[in-house]
Amino acid sequence: MKTALLFAQLKIRLLGGNLRGDLQRKLGFVFTLLVASGLAVLGFALMSLIRLAPPDVAADITIVAFASFLVSWMIVPLLAFGLDDTLDPARLSLFPLRTRELAVGMFTASATGVWPVAMLIVTSGALVGLARSVGGVLLGVPAVLLQFALCLVASRLITTSLSSALRSRRGRDVLAVAALFVVVLAQLPNLLVNRGLGDPLAMLRGLSGALRWTPPGLAAHAIADGGLTGLAELAVLALVVAALGWLWIKALSRALVTPDASTQAASVRKGGGLVDRLLPDGPLAAVVTKELKYIRREPKFRVGWFSAVVVTVVLVFSLTNGSPDGAGPWLPIVLTSVAALMIALQSGNAFGIDGRSLWMNAVAFGAERDLRVDLAGRHLANLLLAGPLLAVVAVGGGLYARSPAMIVPALLAGLGALGIGLGVGAVTSVLMPYTVPERVNAFNSAAPGQGGQALASSLGAMLTVVLLSLPFVLPIVLGLVWVCVLAPVYGLAVEIAGTRLAAKIGFPRLPELVAAVSKAA
Amino acid sequence: MTDAVRTHGLYKQYGRQTAVAGVDLVVPAGSFAGLVGPNGAGKTTTLSMITALLRPDGGRAEIDGFDVWRDPVQVKARIGVLPEGLRLFERLSGRELLLYNGRLRGIPKADVEQRAAELLDVMDLTGSADKLVVDYSTGMRKKIGLAAALLHNPSVLFLDEPFEGVDPVSANTLTDVLRGFTASGSTVIFSSHVMELVERLCDWVSVMSGGAIVAQGPIDEVRAGRSLNQAFLDLVGGGHHNQAGLSWLGARPQEGR
Repeated sequence: MKTALLFAQLKIRLLGGNLRGDLQRKLGFVFTLLVASGLAVLGFALMSLIRLAPPDVAADITIVAFASFLVSWMIVPLLAFGLDDTLDPARLSLFPLRTRELAVGMFTASATGVWPVAMLIVTSGALVGLARSVGGVLLGVPAVLLQFALCLVASRLITTSLSSALRSRRGRDVLAVAALFVVVLAQLPNLLVNRGLGDPLAMLRGLSGALRWTPPGLAAHAIADGGLTGLAELAVLALVVAALGWLWIKALSRALVTPDASTQAASVRKGGGLVDRLLPDGPLAAVVTKELKYIRREPKFRVGWFSAVVVTVVLVFSLTNGSPDGAGPWLPIVLTSVAALMIALQSGNAFGIDGRSLWMNAVAFGAERDLRVDLAGRHLANLLLAGPLLAVVAVGGGLYARSPAMIVPALLAGLGALGIGLGVGAVTSVLMPYTVPERVNAFNSAAPGQGGQALASSLGAMLTVVLLSLPFVLPIVLGLVWVCVLAPVYGLAVEIAGTRLAAKIGFPRLPELVAAVSKAA
Repeated sequence: MTDAVRTHGLYKQYGRQTAVAGVDLVVPAGSFAGLVGPNGAGKTTTLSMITALLRPDGGRAEIDGFDVWRDPVQVKARIGVLPEGLRLFERLSGRELLLYNGRLRGIPKADVEQRAAELLDVMDLTGSADKLVVDYSTGMRKKIGLAAALLHNPSVLFLDEPFEGVDPVSANTLTDVLRGFTASGSTVIFSSHVMELVERLCDWVSVMSGGAIVAQGPIDEVRAGRSLNQAFLDLVGGGHHNQAGLSWLGARPQEGR
């Protein structure tokens, strides 16, 4: 009990210490608090409203809800929050704590916080929604607590057993990309429902049937049952929680003595690529080769390119409602331009990805021209990848919309939009640079305190790009297809102008630029 | 002989705190110079301002007679820098990092490749040359950072804590390379806390405290017969502290508790 109290205090202190003296974080915490309490109230209300449904449907809904709570608890901490101070067992390994004390403490620490409390409130909504007898209420209280404990223990078990992997470089690299797949998966039900696959009630029935004998299913059913069967189910559930807890303790004691083995790395291929041999020797070739390697090896780049493709695909479905019949001949053009915009937006904070290594460029750049070459090299590397990708998008879009005649115009328009995006991105890169956090996390795009800057930068860039693209996108969409021939030329002009302007602004500000992208994240 | 580095009243303020309050640093060309001072004395800030990585709030800095902020082309071709923290282009291999650096400065690829191979060999990094820098250890990072700083054959080399966290073998390699470099008439300036090291390597020393230079000159002049450590403590005023408040430290409970 003493340990539990101590760890609860520790967690609260850590939460408080995180907020001290930083207005931005305080506002962020208030925001979190508002969202969490809002969700708690809303969740509780929704869970209670289940009561209005027929009893069997209500039980089905609760089973599915409990199961999805469990799954979210298992996945979300991995993706969104990483490891926070109380949860990384390695930080506690030097304290003279027995594993049991540590487990109790860590469990308390996990239960202390805004989100766990919100979860407990939402889960207890099932008491109102589902219990139909005195037995149901009596069994319901332990069922809710067990379901809550199950969420926590399962979540802890997963983070603990993965913690050594998560602390290594490779583990985080993999996770950054994996996070995106989860986002895509989360879109899947949405798309399915849009397609109108089957009757929702039958789907619910099938789903809950499959989940009926899983631990969250047992908890939900026990509340609805309220009799001896429910009691037996709770006993099983308690055993499962205890078993998971035991596994967690085992994983914990192993994690405490397992070293980080991430530096046993393989070598990379030696020698330059084809591009390097084709370009004339000099700084430009150096920048292009380096940038191409970075696109291949840096997870932040991979995430960026991957999301550009995903957004485009999602856009196809939402623009056409999932069937090609509604698509007009303008679809390929809009699609390719949007893909180009998404790709170019990654260059809106070109120096952010270099981060604290940007000093290496800064000590080498003696004149404005050097910065211009650097930006041009980055753009060229981008084009080498974006060109083929846009061609694929244009062909795919043209075939999908059954207007193959628009493929070439779409590609030309896309290249124009890309040029504009890169030109604008070069300027925002020097005007509003911000730090991309070191810890790889796909959803956390700026260092604490620079979120506003990041938002302003990307919104500003997006708006400017759209405005600058209108001169050729509008005529093409309106039927003057020949205008697309001018698009790449126009795009190139904007790119050159943007790069020159960026170098002119950026070179005298190099020290400030380095400082802005080197903030501790 | 001209001075390799000369600053006049270099000044930097962060909010209300003055980090560097008018530094007049002088380092003659060809010297192996140590910049020493307690934590927070402003060594890193000073080095960053001289190497054009941080804009000073006041004062001037010259390298080989060229103003750092008015003549960046001349200055940047002449300096090599190894800042603290050692953030490098992590996703390049050691070899790729050197190639990128050299070619970015306009050295032909064939020359860079040859220089990189020699530097990797001297730094004992040939075995790890094709591993990503992100997987390097601290000592390897310092060595590859030094190699990158030397690649374009600078005349003045600035190193911020180059020996911190480096094992004795790597430290020995580093000092050998640096000694050879100064023997050819080039200048090395490095910051350090380790007085024994400065005493062993340097012929010129500048002592910083509270954001200003409190002593500088040939090392024997600054030492004036004392050990450098003693001279340093006398200069920055670090006396013996009263330890009465730590009476429990080292005390053991009686047997048979």
